[in-house]
Amino acid sequence: MSISSNGACFKRLLVMSGAAIGTVAIGGVAFLYSGLYSMGADDPHYDVTTWALETLRENSIARASQSIEVPSDLNSAERLLKGGADYNDMCAGCHLKPGKSENDFTLGLYPAPPNLATIHRTGEDEESEDQRNFWIIKHGIKASGMPAWAPGHDDTRIWSMVAFLKRLPDLTPTQYQILTARGKNDAAHH
Amino acid sequence: MNNKQLSALLAIPALMMAFAVQAHSEKEHMEKAENPDCATMNAMDHSKMDMSDPVVMAMMQQCMNTMQQGTAEVENTPHGHGEHMTGAGKASDHMQQAPSQ
Repeated sequence: MSISSNGACFKRLLVMSGAAIGTVAIGGVAFLYSGLYSMGADDPHYDVTTWALETLRENSIARASQSIEVPSDLNSAERLLKGGADYNDMCAGCHLKPGKSENDFTLGLYPAPPNLATIHRTGEDEESEDQRNFWIIKHGIKASGMPAWAPGHDDTRIWSMVAFLKRLPDLTPTQYQILTARGKNDAAHH
Repeated sequence: MNNKQLSALLAIPALMMAFAVQAHSEKEHMEKAENPDCATMNAMDHSKMDMSDPVVMAMMQQCMNTMQQGTAEVENTPHGHGEHMTGAGKASDHMQQAPSQ
């Protein structure tokens, strides 16, 4: 085969690739404007979309949280009390508490918020899990209903919530109530 | 629009945003705070609790006032030493037995 026919072949391949990419791009833009994709929270994504979004989310969080320094005192009573009260006020509405398996938010939100009272730690990489939880609470997750709590909540407060999450799946409803109640049970005043 | 009016227009939304950020303070949550249910804690078998477990330590900390008051009540009963005078019947039984001792 001569050099000139090789060049013509390469040129044709280039033109065909460009046409294919152009068609996909124009088709994509046309799809965006068509309004054909259902945005209802009660109509789940295709499996491939769910896979793509979850892969994007997990890798993004792992990368962003890998250098976060985990405090050494997460396993303290003070952290549990501070974090427990905040969890009850800010998180339990969506992520539930011991003795509760669903509510309007868990049934209606998409993606459904995980029930943190039942998810036991795998124990494989505790540090990564703490870093991940801290990052998610602080920054939130786009288009999921998970807000960023950083505005109005400092790192100490967020770490206390991470500390509470470590023990949450082990708690009974009674233990949960006592740990998360903000009121002072000053029986002397009753 | 003069400068004064413009700065007032900017200052009001800025103040409102600042107040919105403060709305997540712990004090705000305290207004609707519920008390820990320490009665259930007192009913638990303390000998089976791991006192070095942070969960148990945190529960103790939460219920410290109630537990201290419970101890004080026991110590202040006329015959003390863990005897709970919970019913009128018990008290009257005790008084009836006293003269025969």
